[in-house]
Amino acid sequence: MTTTNKRAQVRIRDLSRSFWEGERQHDVLRNLSVEFAQGETVALRGRSGSGKSTLLNLISGIDVPDAGEVEVSGKSITGMSERERTLFRREHIGFVYQAFNLVSTLSVSDNIRLVLELNGIGREQADQRILKLLDAVGLRDRAESYPDILSGGEQQRVAIARALAHEPVLLLADEPTGNLDDRTAEGVLQLLDELVRQAGGTMIIATHSAGVAEYSDRVLELQNGALVS
Amino acid sequence: MPAIYRASFGFLRRHPWQLGLAILGICIGVAVMVAVDLANQSSRKAFLMSMDTLNGQATHQIVAGPGGVDETIYTTLRVEHGIRRIAPIVSGYAHAGEVALQLLGVDVFAEADFRQYTAPANFETDLAASPDTGPGQPEDMVRRFLTVNGSVLMSAATAAELALSPGDSFEILVNGKQRQAVLTGILRGNDGREVGGLVVTDIANAQYWLEMQGRLSRIDVRVAANDEQRLSEIRGSLPPGTELLSASGRTETTAEMSDAFMTNLTAMSFLALLVGIFLIYNSVAFAVLQRRELIGVLRALGVTRGQTFRIILSEAAVVGTLGAALGLLAGVWLGEKLLVLVARALSDHYFAVNVTDVAISSASVVKGFVAGLGATLVAATVPAIEASSFQPRLALTRSTLEQRAGRAVPRLGYSGIGLIFLSALMLALSGRSLVIGLIALFVLILGFAFCIPFIVRGISNALAPFAGRIGGTAGRLAIGGVGKTLSRTGIAIVALAIAVSATIGVSVMVGSFRASVSDWLGSTLQSDVYVGVPRGSLDPALIPDLTSLPGIAEYSTSRRAWLETDNGRTRILAIRMAPGSYAGTNIRDADPEHVWRQFNQDSAVLVSDSYAYRHETQAGEFVTLNTPQGRVELRVAAVYQSYDSNDGAIMMSRNTYNRYFDDSAIDSIGLYLNDGFDVDLVMNSLREVSEGRQSLIMNSNDNIRDISMAIFDRTFVITNVLYWLAVGVAIIGIFGAMLALQLERAREFGVLRALGMTPGQTGVLVSLQTAFIGFLAGLTAIPLGLVMAWVLVEVINRRAFGWQIDIAISAQPLLAAMALAIGAALLAGIYPSWHAGHARPALAMREE
Amino acid sequence: MLLLICACEADVADQPGTPDSRAGSSRLSELLRSDGAEAFPRVTDPREFRFPADHGPHDEYRNEWWYFTGNLDGEDGRRFGFELTIFRFLLAPEENRDTGSAWQSNQVYIGHFALTDVAQKQFHVVQRYSRGSAGLAGAESEPFRIWLDDWSISEDGAGPAGQPVWRLRANDTDIAVDLNFVAEKPVVLNGDNGLSQKSAEVGNASYYYSIPRLRTSGTVRVREEMHSVGGTTWLDREWGSSALARDQQGWDWFALQLSDGSDLMFYTLRGQDGSTHPNSSGTWIDAAGNAHHLTRKDVVVEVKDYWDSERGGRYPSAWEIRIPLKNVAISVVPVLEDQELITNVRYWEGAVDVSGDAAGQPIHGRGYVELTGYAN
Repeated sequence: MTTTNKRAQVRIRDLSRSFWEGERQHDVLRNLSVEFAQGETVALRGRSGSGKSTLLNLISGIDVPDAGEVEVSGKSITGMSERERTLFRREHIGFVYQAFNLVSTLSVSDNIRLVLELNGIGREQADQRILKLLDAVGLRDRAESYPDILSGGEQQRVAIARALAHEPVLLLADEPTGNLDDRTAEGVLQLLDELVRQAGGTMIIATHSAGVAEYSDRVLELQNGALVS
Repeated sequence: MPAIYRASFGFLRRHPWQLGLAILGICIGVAVMVAVDLANQSSRKAFLMSMDTLNGQATHQIVAGPGGVDETIYTTLRVEHGIRRIAPIVSGYAHAGEVALQLLGVDVFAEADFRQYTAPANFETDLAASPDTGPGQPEDMVRRFLTVNGSVLMSAATAAELALSPGDSFEILVNGKQRQAVLTGILRGNDGREVGGLVVTDIANAQYWLEMQGRLSRIDVRVAANDEQRLSEIRGSLPPGTELLSASGRTETTAEMSDAFMTNLTAMSFLALLVGIFLIYNSVAFAVLQRRELIGVLRALGVTRGQTFRIILSEAAVVGTLGAALGLLAGVWLGEKLLVLVARALSDHYFAVNVTDVAISSASVVKGFVAGLGATLVAATVPAIEASSFQPRLALTRSTLEQRAGRAVPRLGYSGIGLIFLSALMLALSGRSLVIGLIALFVLILGFAFCIPFIVRGISNALAPFAGRIGGTAGRLAIGGVGKTLSRTGIAIVALAIAVSATIGVSVMVGSFRASVSDWLGSTLQSDVYVGVPRGSLDPALIPDLTSLPGIAEYSTSRRAWLETDNGRTRILAIRMAPGSYAGTNIRDADPEHVWRQFNQDSAVLVSDSYAYRHETQAGEFVTLNTPQGRVELRVAAVYQSYDSNDGAIMMSRNTYNRYFDDSAIDSIGLYLNDGFDVDLVMNSLREVSEGRQSLIMNSNDNIRDISMAIFDRTFVITNVLYWLAVGVAIIGIFGAMLALQLERAREFGVLRALGMTPGQTGVLVSLQTAFIGFLAGLTAIPLGLVMAWVLVEVINRRAFGWQIDIAISAQPLLAAMALAIGAALLAGIYPSWHAGHARPALAMREE
Repeated sequence: MLLLICACEADVADQPGTPDSRAGSSRLSELLRSDGAEAFPRVTDPREFRFPADHGPHDEYRNEWWYFTGNLDGEDGRRFGFELTIFRFLLAPEENRDTGSAWQSNQVYIGHFALTDVAQKQFHVVQRYSRGSAGLAGAESEPFRIWLDDWSISEDGAGPAGQPVWRLRANDTDIAVDLNFVAEKPVVLNGDNGLSQKSAEVGNASYYYSIPRLRTSGTVRVREEMHSVGGTTWLDREWGSSALARDQQGWDWFALQLSDGSDLMFYTLRGQDGSTHPNSSGTWIDAAGNAHHLTRKDVVVEVKDYWDSERGGRYPSAWEIRIPLKNVAISVVPVLEDQELITNVRYWEGAVDVSGDAAGQPIHGRGYVELTGYAN
């Protein structure tokens, strides 16, 4: 799958986000500024609670910052309404999660179809694309299976297929290998590398594992809400 | 179906129990509503249709007071005024064996303009050949109808019921006297309509049987629309006390007598639907809660809030449609059962209804469907809004949800208190409106419902420490769980509490009513023996023979008659009081001695509670009556207690009655025995004296009371059925809630099981929890139930029927309600607790 | 003259004038045949007539009627014919009930009221029924009163010569008459001193008298128009319990008032085969009021034309009548072809014009003709 014609440049300026835990304010991100170039794959590393997930949520518009700005392909996410953000995300961003987050009540192919439908892609075209994606992730024979009978690695491959189905300009992966054993994790990373990086797509992978680095153009370290190195 | 909807519906498919229960809840709610509506409408329609057939084309009727219409008025109208489209009617009641019949005496020559079915043209022509006239022909039929002694006609169905064929003679009991009747022909309704239980006879014979020589029950009149000239011509030739009234108006007035009764039934049916709404809310809210992750994922994938809202609502729409559709089917079925009860209650109290089949009206069906679907959508709106407010985040934790629910509890409580105030305001300001009274009752219930979670949380928080001490960890888990899981258990408790409170409200109301009626009967029934005639009046020649029997010290007489007044059809009670009778009438707020003096000496009258309420009449005011002497105004001496008829009655002394009305009939006498005489022996001698003269009904004081109480209880059977249905809906709600709760906590139970809790212990835990839920529901239901009882007695019954009832509260209905609440919850918890106990720990922990 | 109708075999449900009279005349005439008549008193012997008593009812006989037919001229020149007949029928010979009710009765009254409006070529007819009790319908001789609802013929004072005046009133939505009668000729007994034998069997007969000329004045109303009228009316009175034999089909009845002061009544009884029955007979009344009985042999009736009813049936509609004995030859023509009564039975009864010669002198006249047994 190629994303050469659809690449995103992500620009982040002075981003801050904090949460309240009871009476105590907890700063997750503090004045963070960073840019991701078009076609770049960046590994975002840091320990649990370092702010990786929050950053991804802010980039995708799932969460809203207290201050600062996020710009994807020149469009300011932070300036959008809730609905605009949802529509932008639906169209331009793909997500891969640590917990896979497949819809358990839908078959493998329907999980992918869901995203295509949301983007208004016709049935025939969707069918073709689902087959192609399942071929690409090597699960064509599991198309009608339900997620709960798949192994972790298989589920994550479906999630990757789903994330790429609508040809997003930006793929965000939050600990994609966190629930997988080493060998399977390796396979998933290879798959992402193949389908996104080598095809020239922009990808940000949040991870605490070192193995991701070899598939990345850059590695950023997040500590206490700020970038180090 | 788009994948986005499939994703969501798939959940319901995987939890068929919840889906099924939600559908069942709607189904019962709709069924009860539709059933009551159908039963009401069908009985009403049957009554109107039979009146329609009996009145035929009559636009107006000439009626007079208790004495009936002087028959010469008819001749004068026809012969002197040349008014032709009029027909004389002499009607009454008869029995053939056990079958009650309506007796209609007609002049066939006047019938053509009115009733097709009595016209000779419609007489059945293929009667068996008879020896004297050869094969039956229409002319023979008329000839026989007019000349054969005791000749009657009836529908084929009635003839079949009595096992009679044309030509057969049979005994018929009219006015307590055995008469010989001959079936000379079969009536055929001209559009296939048959009036069941009707015998038609010649007017001369009807007068003879009913002992109404010289009098007519009414004169039917047919006048072209707006022919005011003809109407005023007729009016002008009527003597005082005889009136020309609109036929449809008379029918309508009679039908309206039952309006309040039907409105109350309708309100009861809404109760089941209201409980159903809570159930739906519960189900949908659960379905949303349990899919919070799914919804989070969908939102992250780009599903908008609007889409989320629509998904949840369209799910509810499907459930609502299914439930409502099933409810309609069940409603028709249930309607047929209720129809029997409604028709019997109407016949007992208002008018004869002969109906066995429900007439399915599209209006009832549409109403039921819209109400069912509408209720579902309304109930689903709140959870749908909640679902759409989920952030596209990956996990909303349970505790966040509980926190949110926890914050909502006081807010809900405040609005509940607001609603209670609103309800009180409505009750205070709505005057005499029954419908607003009922709406206020529902607002009150809703307001109380909103307060319940607050109360429940308080109670369970307060009890949790004790529970731990008594029940150990399981106890703490169970009882603490209730308070901490209000988002899931709150609604179930509310639903159960409402249903249970309704049972308290209704049973306290019925119990108080019953006690009042029983007291009233006890004081009213002063005589030792009551003698009357089934639907007729006593033979005047018989009365002296009866009352002069040894052992009889005194007697009272009574006559119940109908009179058309400015206030519509009014019951008149003419009483000849025996010295002992006075104590039997409970006079309200007045000095009895003074009242009775006015009653006996000044032609003053008494009006019943219901009359006083309905017509806003007080002691000292006047009632205007149309009598053969013209319009007279009689002073109301006092209001008296009566549960006799909800239309109310005017009571006057027999002397007053005789002074104004040309009617000597006596319906019943009450006999006072000398000390030492045995009631049964006296009744035997009464029987001997009347033997062969008139067939009498004799009842001892106790008998009458038993019969009256039996009718009373019969009337409330339908009420019981309706509130048990509401309880049924609530049990389903609890069942669903417990099931969902166990599902929700499957992982927790899995862990408990993994840690070594036995299936039995888990089951006990769940049972404890459900019992506690039932206990809480019962506890909160008691105050609501008592308030409801108060509203039912003081507002609803008063406005509907004008009855004054003293509230009597006993512990029994309250304890029964508590037992019901706990029992219902435990019953509902059986399967969920079994389920919780038998879940395999590994699977449970892995699931979702 | 007699007409075959029996009590309430009629279709009461039908509105007067509705064409569909389910009970056809042929079947209804069955009931006036001798069947079942044994239970009623029969007309077998001549009787002594007493008046006014015999103007009143003879309740013990099965049937009886008061038959008024007349030709009227309006002051405005408009011509009318009218018929008012009150029939009485006894449904059962014995009363076996004792209801004490004023409504109890075995008597049924039927009234036919017809008006021929010659100028407008319209024929109106109305029918009424009633039981003969409760004051709704009945007959009394002193004072004379026959009534059914508000239709009545009753004594109403006396004329200039002291003779009784009768007043006839009948009305319906479209038509009404209010007429005064004064007898110009005395009562005429038909047949054998008033006993009119209708068929061979003993008892198939009636008592039959007429008043051939009642001078008439009063008003006729047609819809909203009132007309003052004057003219001459014929009264036929008959009672008995049975009349026709099985083989008799119907009759043609003529009641004619001639310009020379004489009157003719004659009826032809027809057999089922169309033949003229031997019992056909009539009465010739001279200007002085002397009656002369006519037998079948005395009178020749020849049908000259026919009229086909649109409701079915073919009626004779012009006649040549010769009475050689009286040297009379007249032709009789209806003033309107369609004077067919649609009542419980269907028959034709209408005003006619007469012209011809009597004893070599031209004469004219008017009258009424009744034709039964033609409609099927």
